Amino acid sequence: MNMRRTLAFTKRSLMQFRHDKRTLAFVLIMPLVMMLVFGYAFGGDPKDLDIAIINDDMGMTTPTGMELSFADAIIGNLDDETYVIHYYDDWDTAKLDLQEAEVWAIFAFPANFTSNMFMNFAMNGTETSIIEVDIDDSNPNLAGSLMQGLQDALVETQEELMIQLNIPPDAAPMSVQTSKEYGDAMEIEFIDYFAPGIVSYSIIMVTVMISIILFVGERREGTLQRLLVSPASESEIVIGYAMAFGVIGLLQSIVILSAAILVFDINIAGSVFLALFVIIILAIGHQGLGLLLSSAAKNELQAIQFIPLIVFPSVLLAGLFWPVQSIPRILQPLAHIIPLKYGIDAERSIMLRGWGVAEVWPELTILILFAILTLSATIILLKKRQ
Amino acid sequence: MNVIETKDLCKNYDELKAVNKLNLNVRQGEVYGLLGPNGSGKTTTIKMLTGLILASTGSASILGHKIPSKLVLNDIGYMPQETAIYLENTVHENIQLFGEIYGLTKAEIKVREVELLDFVDLSHRRNSIASTLSGGMKHRLSLACAMIHRPKLLFLDEPTVGVDPELRALFWEYFEKMAADNITVLITTHYMDEANNCTRVGLMKEGELIAEDEPHLLMESTGTKTLEEAFLALARRCD
Ligand SMILES: Nc1ncnc2c1ncn2[C@@H]1O[C@H](COP(=O)(O)OP(=O)(O)OP(=O)(O)O)[C@@H](O)[C@H]1O
Ligand SMILES: [Mg+2]
Repeated sequence: MNMRRTLAFTKRSLMQFRHDKRTLAFVLIMPLVMMLVFGYAFGGDPKDLDIAIINDDMGMTTPTGMELSFADAIIGNLDDETYVIHYYDDWDTAKLDLQEAEVWAIFAFPANFTSNMFMNFAMNGTETSIIEVDIDDSNPNLAGSLMQGLQDALVETQEELMIQLNIPPDAAPMSVQTSKEYGDAMEIEFIDYFAPGIVSYSIIMVTVMISIILFVGERREGTLQRLLVSPASESEIVIGYAMAFGVIGLLQSIVILSAAILVFDINIAGSVFLALFVIIILAIGHQGLGLLLSSAAKNELQAIQFIPLIVFPSVLLAGLFWPVQSIPRILQPLAHIIPLKYGIDAERSIMLRGWGVAEVWPELTILILFAILTLSATIILLKKRQ
Repeated sequence: MNVIETKDLCKNYDELKAVNKLNLNVRQGEVYGLLGPNGSGKTTTIKMLTGLILASTGSASILGHKIPSKLVLNDIGYMPQETAIYLENTVHENIQLFGEIYGLTKAEIKVREVELLDFVDLSHRRNSIASTLSGGMKHRLSLACAMIHRPKLLFLDEPTVGVDPELRALFWEYFEKMAADNITVLITTHYMDEANNCTRVGLMKEGELIAEDEPHLLMESTGTKTLEEAFLALARRCD
């Protein structure tokens, strides 16, 4: 392989992007737009959730003459951006409104809430204070946020009380329970969970689209024929293209990762370079796929028809929005043959778990193999003459 | 010495005989004109000779190598019938790309670019994006790209389409000059008047070569005054 020739192809493609500002903008901004749309649609904390509060807590007066109401304190600490509080007198009315979706949740504090809690830690009692909770489960993400907010208020209130009542910090924690439990799954913010997937997905979409169209154009305009009659080898042509897309992929990922970090405050636990590297490999593999598909198409119109074939499985099966484990079992094997799945898995592990090459090497290997496979298949197809 | 030699060269697309038992001999330093109506198999012939498509039956050799051969690729130039230039790149970038593909040094490319752009009269458009050129200008750029490496054998598939008469005359002058330098040119065209400038012409019809000779001899043998009339007479004769 002649390096100068290969680079000549790379340079030519990149210059094309430089002249064609609109395509360049599409390539760089499209992933960003997808990120922003998905980010704002799914991300951020939910706001202004109507909830019902039933406060029967009688409070108590301590032996030292201090008036206490833990329920009031907790309610006061509920984040007023997240919650819009409606007070109810009885459970049944609140429940009715919950069923009618007037409110998202009911938090009820029983009469002995404060006294039980106080007895518990001041007198070593065994009573537990329980906040009765009922929640509209129709949206698990909202349910998670609602519970998380209550948990936050509870922790904050306890800390305040420890100071107020002079309880040493190493004392046994106050025992407060909610009648419903939600796991820690929602600890990671939604957008954090999505970002790695969106980054990978938007880049493969743009890459496949552009490379299909560019290569169909090469065939139709006759430039490809011209290259095939030149001393340039098929590998030089294909690798030259791949390197150009590698560079484009790098630019795209820099733009999109910066947006993720600056706009959505996503922190990348692992190495940013590794995250970039995975995206570039993913882009090169899908560029190869684009070239491959383009040889099965006679014109741009036919080529475009391949796009839904890639979009839908990727969106639905590759674990972009929901884990692969949650799709029907018979479809699961399909997920494992979608390269994007490995890209998303790797990016998620790198960005959220802070994993390095030592952990993500299986995904990385699969992606590299995918790139080698699509590129060599394209080269072989180009070598074939009829 | 024959630079192009074909023996019963055929190309079939299913039932269709695009090229049928073609026996062609083109000598070094000739400007050989391949003439014939639409669909008579001119482009198909060139594509087989350059190795873009494979012959169904028969054989051929160019520059002494049996086709398809990778060994000749450095010595042949090809201007496809399609525009075949990178429309979103500048004139300069197109020339540069082909210069690098053929392994010319930076300095060589620089010299060659000036020469060629001067020849196709595009020096003033060196930095224009190719898509902004006029139709004829695109063809001129395409021709320049095919000649960058000074090939020994040039395949030109309708190089003068849409090129204005003045420049066309200039092109033919140049082709003849190349022939004088022992460069061989195989050219297809629909313009009978310019075919008169060829050393020899071959007339194709429905994939077959129906006549081949120097233009004036073709006219003499058919007793006609123009190549066009000669062609019509020959075509009628073989019906
Ligand atoms: N890929 C193909 N598949 C099927 N038929 C083809 C193919 N390529 C060419 N043909 C047919 O072969 C015949 C010869 O075509 P060719 O392009 O060689 O003609 P031509 O002499 O170059 O015509 P023109 O003057 O219009 O350029 C035509 O009938 C054409 O339809
Ligand atoms: Mg033709």
